[in-house]
Amino acid sequence: MEHTTLAHHLLLAGLLFTAGLAGVIIRRNLLVVYMCLELMLAAATLALVAFSRFNNTMDGAILVFFVITVAAAEVAVGLALIVALYRRTGTVSSDQLNTLCD
Amino acid sequence: METNLLDWILFLPLASAVICGLLFRQSGSVAGVISIGSAIVNSILALSLLTHLQAGDTIAWSREICRFGETSLTVGYSVDQYSALMLFVVTFVGAWIHLFSWGYMRDDSARGRYFAGLSLFMFSILGIVLANGLVMTFIFWELVGFCSYMLIAHYFDKDFAAAASKKAFIVNRIGDLGFILGIAACLSLYGTTDFDTLKVAVAAKPAPALVGFLLLGGFIGKSAQFPLHVWLTDAMAGPTPVSALIHAATMVAAGVFLMARIFFLLHPDVLQLCLWSGAAMAALAGLCALAQTDIKKSLAYSTLAHLGIMGAALGLGHPELALLHMAMHACFKATLFLGAGSIIHGCHHEQDMLQMGGLARKMPVTFATFLVASLSNCAVPFLAGWYSKDAILEAAHEHGVLVFALLSIAALATCLYSGRMIRLVFMGEARSEASTHAHESPWTMLLPLIVLGLGYSVFAGNYIGIPKASVSVLPAPMHFHFGAASIVGLGSLIFGFFGALWFYGRSKSDALRDASPALYGALERRWMDNLYDGYVTRVQQPLVDALAFIDLALINGIGGKILGAGIPAGLGALSRRLFHTGSARVNAAWFAIGALLITALLLGIL
Amino acid sequence: MPDPLFVFFAALTLGAAGLLVLSRNAVTSAMGMILALVGIAAEFFLLDAYFLGVLQVLVYAGAVMVLFLFIIMLLNTDKPETKYPWIKAAGGLAVFLFLSAGVVALILHSGALDKVAGPTPPELSNNPAEFATAAKAFGRLLYTKYMLPLQMAGLLLLLALVGVVNLSKDAKPNA
Repeated sequence: MEHTTLAHHLLLAGLLFTAGLAGVIIRRNLLVVYMCLELMLAAATLALVAFSRFNNTMDGAILVFFVITVAAAEVAVGLALIVALYRRTGTVSSDQLNTLCD
Repeated sequence: METNLLDWILFLPLASAVICGLLFRQSGSVAGVISIGSAIVNSILALSLLTHLQAGDTIAWSREICRFGETSLTVGYSVDQYSALMLFVVTFVGAWIHLFSWGYMRDDSARGRYFAGLSLFMFSILGIVLANGLVMTFIFWELVGFCSYMLIAHYFDKDFAAAASKKAFIVNRIGDLGFILGIAACLSLYGTTDFDTLKVAVAAKPAPALVGFLLLGGFIGKSAQFPLHVWLTDAMAGPTPVSALIHAATMVAAGVFLMARIFFLLHPDVLQLCLWSGAAMAALAGLCALAQTDIKKSLAYSTLAHLGIMGAALGLGHPELALLHMAMHACFKATLFLGAGSIIHGCHHEQDMLQMGGLARKMPVTFATFLVASLSNCAVPFLAGWYSKDAILEAAHEHGVLVFALLSIAALATCLYSGRMIRLVFMGEARSEASTHAHESPWTMLLPLIVLGLGYSVFAGNYIGIPKASVSVLPAPMHFHFGAASIVGLGSLIFGFFGALWFYGRSKSDALRDASPALYGALERRWMDNLYDGYVTRVQQPLVDALAFIDLALINGIGGKILGAGIPAGLGALSRRLFHTGSARVNAAWFAIGALLITALLLGIL
Repeated sequence: MPDPLFVFFAALTLGAAGLLVLSRNAVTSAMGMILALVGIAAEFFLLDAYFLGVLQVLVYAGAVMVLFLFIIMLLNTDKPETKYPWIKAAGGLAVFLFLSAGVVALILHSGALDKVAGPTPPELSNNPAEFATAAKAFGRLLYTKYMLPLQMAGLLLLLALVGVVNLSKDAKPNA
């Protein structure tokens, strides 16, 4: 613990965020895309907690609390949207949902 | 405390409109109760304001909404006894029209929307009456335009109703262009649009004629003055209570009220224009009413004639007479329209007067109120219409013989078409199946007729003098005295009204059409509409075609195909391959790259 | 050299994230996601944020991921995505490398890290305004300084509830 610096945590958070972003870009299944989005959020919370701990303040940790709340609400609405989309179009592949382009 | 009352008066209809429109679109009865209730409460509030307001008092309150350098725009209230009177007329007549609608629209499937529209209409007209400056007036002015569009198009699945609402909206836009330019001119000349400060500023530096002409544009459009009167007769496509509201209490009144408000801004040249166009329209429209078989269209021409009279009164330099005539006209014209609505309702939606006849026995209450309102319309002494019309005629007599002659023709025409209407609709024998089986209307429709017709049309003139605040509306107490105006008035009444009763009794169909088809045709023909149509098809369309040809052949053909094709097409193809692939993943990738670049820029790396 | 536990959980989390992103089966992706979230929770523990760590496991790895798995099974889309040519896979890898290189470069290059915090976390104290581990500290702040955001979050959850109910109703023909 003594030698784990803030930079280590931020690097981990950044890599996780990037992995999530790459997943959003390369995956086509909307559900997986959605999980990747959640991973990006979780990476951000990791950075927040690290900052909060190293600056000896509670504000970042509280913000994580709110991020988790918002993410839960977002998951509920987003999954409901995906289900509605699936009922209407019969697919959850983002490549086939391109009516805006045609 | 008083601004508090004004808040209630202004926002009660809005609240009603919002509640009806958003929550009770499906249940028309609830919407109707809310809307009618708010209108009645509003008229009581307006009455209390009218009785509490001392002569010469004004209630002023304003608040800045935005500021551009030295210029600030405000909204607020400014109420004097004219506005209070107008407020009362609008809310009182409006409340009874609301009640009438309950019976008239009982079988309509879109009652929720209809009542929401009525309440919104009340809100917008009250905003105009209470407004403290041109900007707020303009905001509500446009809202009135929108509401009329929405209500005229109530039967929007009928082509003629949709077309009529569009026409009303577009024609009003033409006038409003002048209005908004006039506001801009006021701002640039005086730096303010508030009535009170403007009045002080104009007293120091008289307004040029241009400002008056521009502002007159708004009046011409909204109050259906020549040459923008064409929308009013078409606006009959809406439900009959809407016609009553538009013609009697709100829309056309807004223009007259605005002109009285900004009378100090009007240059004498503007008044001259207003006078002559108003007087000419009064005479012509009155005669045109003789050549309409649709009862509502005939009443619409009558309204045009009265608007002409009001315009003439403004032009004569008597804005208070114009306002008075507007108030009087509001009560009897509302009765006439509601009466027409009752007749149409009773005759199973038959509007052709030649198909009616003999309704006096079948619809006695409607007949009595319609008759009284018609007599008031003909300016029988001591009925409502007489007070204002006689005063205007007298003022015209002092001004000059030509104006007096024109207004006399208008007076005679009024009596002629009133007599014709009474004769065709109520007397003689029923001329169709619908009128044979006509029935009297329910009490919700008769009560407004009785109150507005028997009560208001008869006693309004006396009543106007009662509240302390309104004493100064009339220049002098009206008594019957023998002068040129009363000779013309009485003469036209006797010859016109009874002449029409006799003349139209001679024939089964329209006696004038039998006697002189050419004259009838000339009156029936819609000159201005034909002119506008001709302008659009002969002048505007070829011009547009020519412009389209230039655009397509020259700019697209030569410039586009030869010069401009290469580079834009290449760029377009490139952007389509890179950005507009229709794939969310590509968008996400570009988004990520952009975010990285922006962060790098912010950190000063790039 | 960082703490071995940190390294272990960092590797676990990154590996799980890789599984989430690269697996062609949605259920496997979800399992990777759970593992990654547990790893992040472990990092929270290492940072003395015990309450948040527990919350993370309960809410995220528990409730949210169960919801995901449920929807995956409901929609029955666990058939693998169609195989794509290696050039596209290489493209995906390139995207990942490019982005991570960018992020790492930004983090290392910014130089702001040394200014905002020292190399080691400060000692924990009992002062509630400072970083504290107990749920009590969260409660105190949530109901004092963060009262308004808390209410807003509650409202948001209510709105999400209403929205989900509305979305999951059967669409009426004329709605």
